[in-house]
Amino acid sequence: MDVLTALEQSGFSIWVRESGSLLAFPGILLLHTYGMAVLVGIVAVVDLRILGFAPALPFAPLEKFLPMLWVAFWVNAATGTMLLVADATTKLRNPDFFVKMACIALAVVAQRMIQRRVFGGPEAAAGPFPAQAKMLAVMSLVCWLGAILAGRLLAYVGPVSGL
Amino acid sequence: MIKLLSNSAHVHVLLNHVPTVGFGLALALFVVGLLRRHDGLTRTALAIFFIVANIAIATYVSGNGAEAILQGRPDVSAAAVRAHEDAALFAFTFMEITGFFSWLALWQWRRVARLPAWNIPLVLTLSILTFALMANAANLGGEIRHEEIRSVPAASAADDATPGIAKSLGLFVSGESWVWPACEAIHFVGLCLLFSVVLIVDLRMLGMIKSVSFAAVFQLLPLGMLGFGLNLITGMMFFIGNPAQYIHNATFFWKILFVLLGGFNVLYFTMDDEPWRVGTGDEAPMTAKVAAASAMFIWAAVLFCGHMLPFLGNAF
Repeated sequence: MDVLTALEQSGFSIWVRESGSLLAFPGILLLHTYGMAVLVGIVAVVDLRILGFAPALPFAPLEKFLPMLWVAFWVNAATGTMLLVADATTKLRNPDFFVKMACIALAVVAQRMIQRRVFGGPEAAAGPFPAQAKMLAVMSLVCWLGAILAGRLLAYVGPVSGL
Repeated sequence: MIKLLSNSAHVHVLLNHVPTVGFGLALALFVVGLLRRHDGLTRTALAIFFIVANIAIATYVSGNGAEAILQGRPDVSAAAVRAHEDAALFAFTFMEITGFFSWLALWQWRRVARLPAWNIPLVLTLSILTFALMANAANLGGEIRHEEIRSVPAASAADDATPGIAKSLGLFVSGESWVWPACEAIHFVGLCLLFSVVLIVDLRMLGMIKSVSFAAVFQLLPLGMLGFGLNLITGMMFFIGNPAQYIHNATFFWKILFVLLGGFNVLYFTMDDEPWRVGTGDEAPMTAKVAAASAMFIWAAVLFCGHMLPFLGNAF
């Protein structure tokens, strides 16, 4: 029995898939959705603000939302891992899953660069933002959009187990 | 009360006069407000347009429940139901567009002293058109059960099988394999936009970024409304695509109820002077804090109900 099958047959995975408890699959997925809403919600406001939307909204104070963004990210990393092990053999054979992971990896890189260069740069207080900052904002928006799309399509394309 | 409201036919009969009577009243107020240049009346009318458009969501979805209850009864003509449903979908679409632009006009009222020239004539045109379409839909709805006002004879059984516009759209949503997943993906993007604004505006009111004035975060509201708009469109696609999985679903009933509350909540932040006076560094007043906390609860509950449709309810 290989590692993936072992993970999928673990007591935890079986509980997630088959217990019927609202705390199992429905609850974990609910947390994953709340996490997405908070994470991508904050990202969207930061990115759109960099791109020139809501110009009278001061940019620098948005930094206070960054810890919340990362809490949401780690909640989703945790809940995402739980959902993955419960369906490991199917998800890890689905190319769409790797599209999602690639989108998230690039989005995280963009987020780190936005935090270092844009929040840490002189424009954070006064603006306007240089073209490079706007490129990062577009990259971040496109990657998160791709992650949402690929995530949703996991239920439809490639091998699908119904989870 | 809940038991009473769980009968969609009953709810539909309770709600079906709101879009016509409420909208007619608002239209009259709006015209008088414009003619007499009375801003208070005009703003009240815009707010009623928005509220009626919001209630119309519940009216529309309860109509499908009523249809399911009446289906197959010998005294109910399927053709009459279909004509009403198609007219209602058309009127509903225009009503939601009117509601959106009415809200936008209220939002712009805050931003600038004078409104851009195009918005008020647009709302006026849309509202007159919507009122005519809604009156037609209501009249066709009345003909389903009130034989005394029936203008056309009940159609023959032969043409009863042809689907109307609403049912054809439903077949498109449920029949084309890409439509449902595409709508779901957009529904998720929409909820992120809505949540972004809810978080930032409401956490400001609760004291998180006090250095930012309410007027500054107020600029974000159309982004949230855009997210809501995307979700209303895609949500209606789901509903029309498969009404049966929603109309007998208590979780869906709660979801629509929370959406209604959310409409009143956003109206408070759009119109009331109290949050508007919260400047740089100011602590928000208690009412604004309660409204902000309610907004976060309401939209979290909308997401909860939507997510739980298959698990607590019977969808999918």
